[in-house]
Amino acid sequence: MTQAFLIVVRVLLVALVGFWAYRLWTGTRSWTTRFVGAFFSATLLWQIVAGTL
Amino acid sequence: MKGFKTLLWLEFRRNGIWAAILIGSLAFWAWGLFQVRLVEVSQQLEVRAILLVLASAIGAVVLALMIGRIRSETRGGQFQVLLLTPPSGYVHIAARYAFAVATAVVYYVAVGGLAWWTIAMSGLPLDAGSVAQLTLAVPFYGLGITVLPLLAWTLLLMVFIAAYRVSGPGWIPGTVMVLGTPFALRWLIEGIVRASYRLPGWHLFGGLEGAIRQAAAQSNGELDPIAVLPQEPLWIMLAVTAILLAIAGRIWQEVEG
Repeated sequence: MTQAFLIVVRVLLVALVGFWAYRLWTGTRSWTTRFVGAFFSATLLWQIVAGTL
Repeated sequence: MKGFKTLLWLEFRRNGIWAAILIGSLAFWAWGLFQVRLVEVSQQLEVRAILLVLASAIGAVVLALMIGRIRSETRGGQFQVLLLTPPSGYVHIAARYAFAVATAVVYYVAVGGLAWWTIAMSGLPLDAGSVAQLTLAVPFYGLGITVLPLLAWTLLLMVFIAAYRVSGPGWIPGTVMVLGTPFALRWLIEGIVRASYRLPGWHLFGGLEGAIRQAAAQSNGELDPIAVLPQEPLWIMLAVTAILLAIAGRIWQEVEG
């Protein structure tokens, strides 16, 4: 039960951060800004999927 | 160069009051240090060291708030005017950063001076080399590994948020960067710890060895303030600072274009 709950929370968090990453990518035409947004989004996604978050 | 000087003057006009209040607050800390009148010298030093660490931490927060005021300028319309001015984004970033760093240098060297005054009040003899290390080497090392990267990170955060001011809410870039930074910082710190002490360390307060050993013998050998600082964290954090500033300048440049 706890395991299933954590998986659901992680899936929701991945969806949320994925949406943020999409907004950050499409919200600017500056490639450096996109790179910064992608770096921090990827850091968060990595922590959600494979880390301690 | 003229553009840089003009922007630096603008920074002085904009943040001069903040800098003056921050540096003026040292008088309060000096008063606080003077009020510590415990009988035990080691306890006196401990309480005063805590006060100095507190002064350093509050100073870092104030400096970060000072350099991060770009957000309020965005709302006030000054930022849009700055984007239209001839100097490049790198010059804007350099001027803003230079003013904050100059303020930080004055503040932390003065904190080092207060540490020297504290030790002198406690009656510990200090040689010229140790005084120079306490008032210059330690503040600059601390600045290099903490305050300079913090200021560069704050500047990048504000420029990053400002880059989205037209397309949508600024809270998404702000939230992503603020939440992602602790994890990126953890990886960075793990890397620094692994890399530390591969190069020769810097010995501090070596001239005090005799006095310290004498004091250590009197307090059952608990005092051991002779420090060997690793030099790798300084070089790594200075490199990180340069990268953060370069990215911030590049973003400013691209947004302006």
